[in-house]
Amino acid sequence: MTEVAFPALSKESATAEGVVATWFVADGEAVEGDQLLAEVQVDKVAAEVPAPHAGVVHLLVEEDTAVTQGTPIARID
Amino acid sequence: MTITESSVAPTPHGSHRLTTAKAMVEAIELEMERDPSVFYLGEDVGPYGGIFSSTTGLQERFGPSRVIDTPISESAFIGLAIGAAVEGMRPIAELMFADFMGVCLDQIYNHMAKIHFESGGNVKVPMVLTTAVGGGYSDAAQHSQCLWGTFAHLPGMKVVVPSNPYDAKGLMTSAIRDDNPVVYMFHKGVMGLPWMVRNPRATADVPDGSYTVPIGQAKVVRPGTDATVVTLSLSVHHALDAADTLAAQGVEVEVIDLRSLVPLDRRTILESVSKTGRLVVVDEDYQSFGLSGEVAATVTDVDPGLLRAPIARIANPDVPVPYARLLEHAVLPRQHRIEEGIRRVVYR
Repeated sequence: MTEVAFPALSKESATAEGVVATWFVADGEAVEGDQLLAEVQVDKVAAEVPAPHAGVVHLLVEEDTAVTQGTPIARID
Repeated sequence: MTITESSVAPTPHGSHRLTTAKAMVEAIELEMERDPSVFYLGEDVGPYGGIFSSTTGLQERFGPSRVIDTPISESAFIGLAIGAAVEGMRPIAELMFADFMGVCLDQIYNHMAKIHFESGGNVKVPMVLTTAVGGGYSDAAQHSQCLWGTFAHLPGMKVVVPSNPYDAKGLMTSAIRDDNPVVYMFHKGVMGLPWMVRNPRATADVPDGSYTVPIGQAKVVRPGTDATVVTLSLSVHHALDAADTLAAQGVEVEVIDLRSLVPLDRRTILESVSKTGRLVVVDEDYQSFGLSGEVAATVTDVDPGLLRAPIARIANPDVPVPYARLLEHAVLPRQHRIEEGIRRVVYR
């Protein structure tokens, strides 16, 4: 099991909040390593979140919900 | 907390979910892989990835000689692209905003569009001119125009305007492979950008690998019997929302996404109006002397008797797009104006 964290996009504040703008996978979907899971955003900075390895993905947050950087947003079993 | 109910359906085998922007980039990437003569150039298209994410990751993948950051000199780099195309390459040049066409229009309509004619068909110009269009996010009069009617009015260029990820990828592949100059106009509101107005229709399943959407073929995106809405780009999304609202009131609206302006798929328009007898044209470009008049004439030139009510045109009134949000929303052809237009032709 691997947790996928919200990437650290803000250099100014370690506790900056962002949102998952778009999930590109569904909860419970089988994913491949490096597959695009989500696009996340802090202020106007956006980043892609790839799968660290293959497995079944579980989404831990909904789109557009505020999340602190570093918080797990998905789990891969 | 685990989400058990997700709006994202599992993707079927052989497809994956993408935003319109990522679908556009994927088409360019696949074409650059298969054809070394394809390259991309424009302002901020390198490490920045295009200000509307039209080239994200491409320079990292293909290097700075095939994904070229240019100076702010549109005449020069569009001219460069034309020269490269004439010599057999397949450049994609990005004009950051269609609003900036004025500083490079001679290259576009006197050279890119005419060389094929002027050479008696002996010289081809197989290039793509990509450009961002549209308003709705308070970018004011010089950064919010669609202007596709202007490009379509000037002969010699094909003009395509995707509204969703599937068409964005398929039309880009077709545009790159086409031997004619193709203007590829992407509305910022359909790209699925995280910092834009949220748009669920900007993310969808897209087939893996290469495929084409034919240039010049419109699509009936919602079948209906009571009225035909002919539209394109972001207005397709607003028209579908309006159609949903009216369906609940017993009015079945057929929505046509033109997808291409040149060539214009007049047959699909005529077939639909033959069936419904009522036409609403929704266009985010200025109303006068443009697309809405051309679509109206498409019907009246053939048989005004097809119409059971006068045509309604829902377009930007002939004023620059305002900055203030309330005024901007009043000018754009948004859902309530579209609904009103449909009611006007149906309940006449």
